[in-house]
Amino acid sequence: MAKKTYDLLFKLLLIGDSGVGKTCILFRFSDNHFTTTFISTIGIDFKIKTVELRGKKIKLQIWDTAGQERFHTITTSYYRGAMGIMLVYDISNEKTFDDIVKWLRNIDEHANEDVEKMILGNKCDMEEKRVVSKERGEAIAREHGIRFMETSAKSNINIDRAFSELAEAILDKSAGREADADHARIAVERRPSRAPPARACCS
Amino acid sequence: MSEAEITTNTGDSPNDLVENGLNKLVVKCKYCGSKILDKKLGKYILQEKELPLMQQDTRKEGEIQNEKVNQFYHVENMFTFDNIGFTHTVDCYKYLSCADCDAGPVGYYDMNSKHSYVALSRIEHA
Repeated sequence: MAKKTYDLLFKLLLIGDSGVGKTCILFRFSDNHFTTTFISTIGIDFKIKTVELRGKKIKLQIWDTAGQERFHTITTSYYRGAMGIMLVYDISNEKTFDDIVKWLRNIDEHANEDVEKMILGNKCDMEEKRVVSKERGEAIAREHGIRFMETSAKSNINIDRAFSELAEAILDKSAGREADADHARIAVERRPSRAPPARACCS
Repeated sequence: MSEAEITTNTGDSPNDLVENGLNKLVVKCKYCGSKILDKKLGKYILQEKELPLMQQDTRKEGEIQNEKVNQFYHVENMFTFDNIGFTHTVDCYKYLSCADCDAGPVGYYDMNSKHSYVALSRIEHA
């Protein structure tokens, strides 16, 4: 029998308007990387990455939307089983930032309600073309109680950190759930001894 | 990718790389050193498969150049990998690539069996 090589598995999604750099976050086109024409032509569907957090070996399965967002066809099937969502906008494109609210609504409609979210202001290497300030990004994240980070897939700024933080947030949440489950079980087990003796009240 | 006869004959496995039918060393990306598979997690098999070349000749437009590959590490569960990328599906296969630098194909994933195969010639042992 094959032994299990990890402790936890988290499915993560990249969401946002087309052109914000989701594919670049997953598939790092850049000068110093070796990118073959074959792989770039076909495109990456998903990646598996291993991170270690608090002594736990965690496998991240990270999915791209594969252009579905262009046709507004991101539905329940794409969100199924997702534990974390990276909501991406482009700091040099106002509309992609405005659409964050739309995407949050879409997530509320289709994703699991306790999915962990994080907003990424991507392309932060393009300071000269910036139209969305970092403060506005932070403000919208605060408003919705979500984590926020500015990233650059091109310059490899904060990408790995963003994924580790999202994974850590999911880990915190699942640890909370485990504790809750234990608590619930204990409560159930105790109930019979605390319950008053059964009596017929309306005989 | 063209199908070829599959043999699981491991009689003449390279001793310096394979031990008890499994990869003796860590499997890494040839180009960036990203860790793909930990030691002893891939089963060494011999099978002839055609894999697209990692570097395609761009002058030959619309034509994919392949080569025959014989030695693979067979991985049943995709989550056994440390870091790996999966391309979109082409004829019931997904191609495997380095999760850090996107070099590939380093092998393929069979959509029917859901098993992965890493080509020994496309990776580095460390």
